[in-house]
Amino acid sequence: MKTKTEPAARPSSSPGESPSSGRSEVHICFRNVTVNYASVVALREINLEVYRREILGIIGPANSGKSTLLRCINRTLDFVPGAKVTGQLLIDGQDVLKVRNVYALRRRVGMVFPLPVGLPLSVYENVAYAPRRAGVRQRHELDAIVERCLRQAMLWDEVKDRLDILGTKLSGGQQQRLTLARALSLDPEILCLDEFSIAIDPVTTMRIEDILRELKQRMTIVLVTNLVQQARRLADRTAFFMAGRLIEVGDTENIFEHPQCELTRRYVEGDFG
Amino acid sequence: MAGGFGQADWFGVGLVKPIESSARRRQQTCSTGENPKLSVRGRTDLATKSSPKPNAPEVPGGGFLRRLASGVSLTAEAGIEWTIRLCGWSAILFVFAIFFFVLREGAPVLFGELDLVEFFTSTHWQPTSLVRPRYGALALMVGTLSVTGLAMLLAVPVGLGAAVYISEFCQGKVKETLKIVIELLAAIPSVVWGFIGLMVMGPLLMDLTGAEVGVNLLTGGVILALMSVPVIVSVGEDALKAVPDSYREAALALGASRWEIVYRVLFPAAKNGLLAAVLLGVGRAVGETMAVLMATGHAVQIPYSLLDPIRTLTATIAAELGEAVKGGTHYRVLFVIGLLLFAISFVVNLTADVIVKGIKGESRN
Amino acid sequence: MAELRYCLAWKRPDGSFQPGETFASFAEAATALSAWQPQSHSGALSTQEPCCTDQVEIWCSCQDEPATVLSRPRYSFVVYGTVAGGGGDGSEAAPWWGLQEAITGLVELERSGQLALRHGQRLRLCHREVFATSAGQKRKARAENIAKTVFMAMALMLVAPVLAILVYLLVKGWPALSLSFFLENPRERMTAGGIWAPLVGTFFLVFISLLLAAPVGILAGVYLNEYARDNWLTRIINLAVVNLAGVPSIVHALFGVGVIMFFAELRRNYGIWVPFEDRCLLAASCTLAVMTLPVIITSTREALASVPMSFREACWNMGATRWQTIRTIVLPNSISGILTGVILQVSRAAGETAPILLTGAVFSVPVPDHGWRAFVPYGLHDRCMALSMHLYTISTQVVNVPEHVEYGTAVVLIGLVLAVNSASIALRVYLRSRKKW
Ligand SMILES: Nc1ncnc2c1ncn2[C@@H]1O[C@H](COP(=O)(O)OP(=O)(O)O)[C@@H](O)[C@H]1O
Ligand SMILES: [Mg+2]
Repeated sequence: MKTKTEPAARPSSSPGESPSSGRSEVHICFRNVTVNYASVVALREINLEVYRREILGIIGPANSGKSTLLRCINRTLDFVPGAKVTGQLLIDGQDVLKVRNVYALRRRVGMVFPLPVGLPLSVYENVAYAPRRAGVRQRHELDAIVERCLRQAMLWDEVKDRLDILGTKLSGGQQQRLTLARALSLDPEILCLDEFSIAIDPVTTMRIEDILRELKQRMTIVLVTNLVQQARRLADRTAFFMAGRLIEVGDTENIFEHPQCELTRRYVEGDFG
Repeated sequence: MAGGFGQADWFGVGLVKPIESSARRRQQTCSTGENPKLSVRGRTDLATKSSPKPNAPEVPGGGFLRRLASGVSLTAEAGIEWTIRLCGWSAILFVFAIFFFVLREGAPVLFGELDLVEFFTSTHWQPTSLVRPRYGALALMVGTLSVTGLAMLLAVPVGLGAAVYISEFCQGKVKETLKIVIELLAAIPSVVWGFIGLMVMGPLLMDLTGAEVGVNLLTGGVILALMSVPVIVSVGEDALKAVPDSYREAALALGASRWEIVYRVLFPAAKNGLLAAVLLGVGRAVGETMAVLMATGHAVQIPYSLLDPIRTLTATIAAELGEAVKGGTHYRVLFVIGLLLFAISFVVNLTADVIVKGIKGESRN
Repeated sequence: MAELRYCLAWKRPDGSFQPGETFASFAEAATALSAWQPQSHSGALSTQEPCCTDQVEIWCSCQDEPATVLSRPRYSFVVYGTVAGGGGDGSEAAPWWGLQEAITGLVELERSGQLALRHGQRLRLCHREVFATSAGQKRKARAENIAKTVFMAMALMLVAPVLAILVYLLVKGWPALSLSFFLENPRERMTAGGIWAPLVGTFFLVFISLLLAAPVGILAGVYLNEYARDNWLTRIINLAVVNLAGVPSIVHALFGVGVIMFFAELRRNYGIWVPFEDRCLLAASCTLAVMTLPVIITSTREALASVPMSFREACWNMGATRWQTIRTIVLPNSISGILTGVILQVSRAAGETAPILLTGAVFSVPVPDHGWRAFVPYGLHDRCMALSMHLYTISTQVVNVPEHVEYGTAVVLIGLVLAVNSASIALRVYLRSRKKW
């Protein structure tokens, strides 16, 4: 099994630099990241870069460690008893695994997990939750944030007249979009989406994908998806994971048209037993 | 190595500067100017925006990001966590404190003038004798034992039966009602039970049996049984409920009736929990004070029939501590009895808990 | 050995069996069964035709001996009337499907030697509708009904006498219950007057103990459910909670007394400030607080555990700290359960006597009848009266108390406790009905 990765580029630019340097700038950098759950090795020596303001698609069969990768980024692995991470995970050159103020970290990283969760608060408060915790008090500011996020999550039109109903009373798909809206509420610079479209209908999914393309101008998006075609549509680059290993990463076009690795070819062509 | 990139330290704690005051940390966090572009945009409609201008300079340093990082105070969080932690540990503290303070009062006689052999083997409880006070607690122990035994004899079958009925034979409203009634039964204060024993059951018993005194072993036993039944029922019901439904279904599939399921499947599977229920009932009965004080007749003697009045360990403390001279031998011996009761309840509860959850404890889900 | 004869005996509608044809071999007898036209509802048929009932037997006897048959059949098989599928082994659990199957089965059994009738023995074949209950099932149902009745009786044995006693108390105490009974202080060595002073005392005791126990208990519950990891320390805390709940109330009283003595010594010997140094309201309240702490801890913990983990994770993902999550999501959504625990604490504290008996409550305290002091009759360092203690006093320590006063006091105490408890239950039911997820 040949691992095909691009040579690890040193994160060489500071965030203050003009964003026009675009995607050559490394934003997130995994260096030999290995994750163990009590006995399972979920990720093995991952070396991967995510560039600023790109969409990185991550595909791979179930249990290949995709979700674990995301959990590393915002350190929610801390909550899993027995989970152990080794290696370095640099965001803008800082090792996330050594960060003490994980709350600040998590505020910079928006995260959407596959299961829709509406907090038992009103829709408005659901979205305003994180900004409120982060110190936003002004009503008009909150209003603006709520509307922006709900629009970005394609939920605004459905709930704009009933922002005070409980988030838990929405339908599954609506709750999932609410989750997305919450993740966007702090305007994070990294957005991690883990199979976000599971509970959402295809038409809305398409529209959210359009939004993601726009959001890409401002944030780095790591998109874990089960739908190979979604990665193909959206991602600038795509990484293929299997059994905890990064098999191949490269421009989406290359991954789908000329995969270097036999496994990748079979996976993207849907030829997996 | 990452520290070498010379950029602001936006997580608050850099690699090179591990410890800093929270104020400074906050300042630094603010000064990053990480995302000047991400300020509040008012009502920008992203969904319909035609030409995004990603690189356009936007209000620097404004909006909520500045406050965003300052919303977290690690110090406050740690302070709160420690407060909560201390409260959590308080349970341990109190158990030790109870043991310590009771021992502290009892120790001088426990390790001194109290003749432990007499204490455990003599029935002569004459603490106020001017000539020669004697502290033989055997009759008191037998009193506690007999009234507890009688109570359990009555309460265990009824309690477990009721638990089985509630858990297996009834549903819906009936079940809810029964549980509520049992809960209310548990709530009746022990002094009221004592009152009932003294005023209602005692006279009734005298009428029925012609006993000389109405407050005796039997009255006390019945009262205690009624008092410990709720514990037995609720713990027993929990134990039965904990038996997986798959057991019942498997037995049903084999054609067993519900009664057969109860005694062939549920009893064996839930025997630990049921045993614990009985133990907790015992614990409740041994420790009960006011009811036995009022309803058992208060006579220091070893009972030979159900109609003999008795006195228990708990009742003795309640009745005599008020009058005993503070710091005197009598006073301290009462604390020794308290220590004995503490030990009994400790062992009973510990055993019950270990029986139900095992040594290492149930893992939380 | 004499020749055996096999006789087909048809059951008559009246239940007896009528011997019919006799055969020389078992197989022949079995084959002759095909004449059977079983009917389960034999009673409904007026026909005397014997071969139409639901049972048939094969009797076996020696040729020359008189046909005495044993009272119970040696073998018993069951057959379904309807032919559907096939197979079965003739047992209660798996009857033969159809008569033909039964005949083949019987012949087969006989040939293989598993079935051998001797003189005087008989074999019974019962017919059953496919979905009818078998005799065994009926027996089981009967046993089950008996069991159910017995268990129900046990449950009722708890409920009935208690209800009876409560009603009795209420009837006896009714004459005493009036507004003045609540509002007057005990008079004339407690033989007259009301229960105002003890009532207020109980209120104070409960209120102060609640103030002390609720914050600690709730935070301890929060710790156990939200912060504690699954390790030995947590295990020990859990054990401590269980043990604290199980410590006899009189031992709590001793604990209170011990602490009072300790404080008094500190004060005397070192002049240190102590909260109390003698029996008083505060000391009694503290004792009650320690005693009722586990009630609050346990129910808080259960209430918190009912909040789904996913809510917490969602908050953590947004950068909320643990405490922010607890404060904004977990506590607001478990407040009902926590309140239940707090209310239970109140009811327990209100009813307890033993712990306050030695730490602060006394038989009688002179309290003013009028003015604001009537509403705040006790200071923190005064001894106080309490309703439970008052009931104990008037029923055991004071003579010549009119019966209706005693019963009245008991009814008030019980009513108070049960009302508080019912409130807790009602709250629980109400809040469960409007769950947010
Ligand atoms: N909390 C956990 N405890 C133990 N093992 C886990 C846990 N979560 C995931 N794993 C294991 O880690 C591996 C990777 O899981 P995951 O990252 O969820 O894969 P994916 O998202 O690609 O399906 C799997 O083998 C899974 O069983
Ligand atoms: Mg996953």
